[in-house]
Amino acid sequence: MRKLPVYLLLDTSGSMTGEPIEAVKNGIQVLVSSLRQDPYALETAYLSVITFNTNAQQIVPLTELSVFQMPDIQATGTTSLGDALSLLAKRADAEVTKTTLEQKGDWKPLVFIMTDGEPTDDWRKGLAEFKKQKFGIVVACAAGQHANTQVLGDITDVVVQLDTADSATIRAFFKWVSASVSLGSQKIESSGQEVTGLSELPPPPPEVNIVV
Amino acid sequence: MTIKEYLESIGVLFETNEEALRFLNQAEVIDFLSAKKDNLPKEADETKSDETRNPIDENIIEEIFYVEEDIPLKSSDLLDDPLAEDTSKTDDMAKFSDYSVPMNEDEKQQARDNAFAETVRSKHFTLQNAKVNQPYNFSVDPDFIQANHIGEFWFDGLEALGLEFDKADNTIKGIPTKSGDHKITWHYRHIDWTEGRPTFQRDLTLVVNPDPRSLWNNTPTSTDIPFYKPDCDKAFRKVGAKSGFLGLRKEERKDMVAASQRGRSHAHGGSPRDDDFAFHFDEKNEWYVLVVADGAGSAKYSRRGSEIACHTTIDVCRKALEVSSDNLEQLIAGFKKEDSQENRKKVGDLIYQVLGAAVFKSYKNIEEEAKNSDSELRDFSTTLLMTICKKFKFGWFVASFWVGDGGIGIYDKNTQFLKVMGEPDGGEFAGQTRFLTMPEIIQPAEIYRRLRFGLVDDFTALVLMTDGITDPKFETDANLMRIEKWNSLWEDLSKEVDFENDVDCSNQLLAWLDFWSPGNHDDRTIAILY
Repeated sequence: MRKLPVYLLLDTSGSMTGEPIEAVKNGIQVLVSSLRQDPYALETAYLSVITFNTNAQQIVPLTELSVFQMPDIQATGTTSLGDALSLLAKRADAEVTKTTLEQKGDWKPLVFIMTDGEPTDDWRKGLAEFKKQKFGIVVACAAGQHANTQVLGDITDVVVQLDTADSATIRAFFKWVSASVSLGSQKIESSGQEVTGLSELPPPPPEVNIVV
Repeated sequence: MTIKEYLESIGVLFETNEEALRFLNQAEVIDFLSAKKDNLPKEADETKSDETRNPIDENIIEEIFYVEEDIPLKSSDLLDDPLAEDTSKTDDMAKFSDYSVPMNEDEKQQARDNAFAETVRSKHFTLQNAKVNQPYNFSVDPDFIQANHIGEFWFDGLEALGLEFDKADNTIKGIPTKSGDHKITWHYRHIDWTEGRPTFQRDLTLVVNPDPRSLWNNTPTSTDIPFYKPDCDKAFRKVGAKSGFLGLRKEERKDMVAASQRGRSHAHGGSPRDDDFAFHFDEKNEWYVLVVADGAGSAKYSRRGSEIACHTTIDVCRKALEVSSDNLEQLIAGFKKEDSQENRKKVGDLIYQVLGAAVFKSYKNIEEEAKNSDSELRDFSTTLLMTICKKFKFGWFVASFWVGDGGIGIYDKNTQFLKVMGEPDGGEFAGQTRFLTMPEIIQPAEIYRRLRFGLVDDFTALVLMTDGITDPKFETDANLMRIEKWNSLWEDLSKEVDFENDVDCSNQLLAWLDFWSPGNHDDRTIAILY
């Protein structure tokens, strides 16, 4: 079976404390439970959660949706976005099956990055490692006004911004992520083709603004 | 916060948590604390009075109460007597607030119980996810129970889901009947629980995954759409035995069966089947023609593209064989006699005139349809896999043309012979197959390159299939060349389809197409000569 890997890279630095981090936890829960109801996603989508604060950590390895368990997430420390990108590259390299003569490899991973601040580490180094891996669509989300959308723009073409990092807005973002994963897995299963650009994703809700 | 961290915060430093615990066991602790207190930051002394004590402090105190139970040396000495008697309490000692007021036994017990409850609540404890209608068996980790001093425990909310908790082996068992995220209440008691002491509870979530099969809807395709075609199709052609001269030497002949089923992914969304097939037996010259085609999922009228390709192929081959059958048969006989370059070329050229014409005409007919319906040629994108074959005294002649993914193979179960009639156009990247509707495909050299022909003694089955079958059954292009994979396919087919008794088995074949393979829900089409 060819997996559709989905990586969530979530900023859990100190500034996310309180409402934002609770909203993120809630968002993951909503994401997982709605994808479990979707026959396309339930069979193909695999989910991993990488959090980053002072360091990056893969708190959930790439896991089948049906066995996914909600991780403990706490907000503390700084914003090591670069570390998160290089960890992502490393984990994707290890977890995503490559095509060989005997088996077809996995689909290209979908990546959703969410951050509310400036990276505090050497993010270009992480970015270089990230660029070496093959990913499908990569969506970077600036949660609130303090995130650096320019940095995110260097990571990917698809940058979206939330006006505020409150629970309703973050929830809307995760719903959109869920719809995107659903659509991605549906496309794969019905036509064998991957989602390649923002225009092929479901239209984002009003809370999620596309940064041009 | 650990005890070590807490002690650190009041200025008492230790290397490890164990050391901090050991420290608390010493009767000299009070002296130690008294000595250390002078080093404490002033603010800490001033801000933390009894009244402003924050909840973290409370928890820590509870944890101390709780931890001391483990320690052999009765630290009640430490917590009760010395502190209670010490009337010259310092401010920082007031942090151990409750020490300032002597606790009675009940209060101490209550504090211990609360500390226990909090500790257990803070531990990571989850129930393994279940699947609906599948046996569930989850044992609570005995080490976890022991390490946290948990005594008796049980769960509420399991029965409604068809599960039960077996106390004998601390296992939740049963077959869950309801999918969803269910709330389960976990009740637990301290290992030293006695009547009158509390039972605590914690809410857990038990995820019961739905059966993926139950999530797939089967929505019929609207008949109003342009180029509607039924969601499934099947056909059987009994060719039957041929009587020889004066009814003697009766000769068995192969039959044909085919079936095409809309994929679950299309059925779920009510979108049409894009695959198609057709076959034909020419009574006069005894040629068999079989064809399957897979309309591209991303092309809006590909269902029509595959249909046109199949029918055009049959049409062109039928007419061309009427004209050239005799000629072709002679050339084949010559080729059989001597497999020379020259003879091979002669057969090849004539095959090109038959199959090549079918390919070219299919392309042209689709192009025409695109024009008539104001659409693009690529809206009709389809693969095309075709064979013509005939039995001679010296064996079978089989010729094929193949563009796109899927597969054509000649398989013999007894001799373990396998000949795959071409190469799939899967390409390095999934979903980047070639289609008949690409102009470069109908260049003569390209058509020639895709033609295959040969002679075989006999075979169990000649199989044409779309990638809805090759993907789940063979996975990769390399596996398509492996006889083991064909053996499993044939074994799998023979279990459900009666190929032995000259009966119409197309219904069985259609039913077989419903096989379950996670992540593989494309349209499936297969045509078999057997």
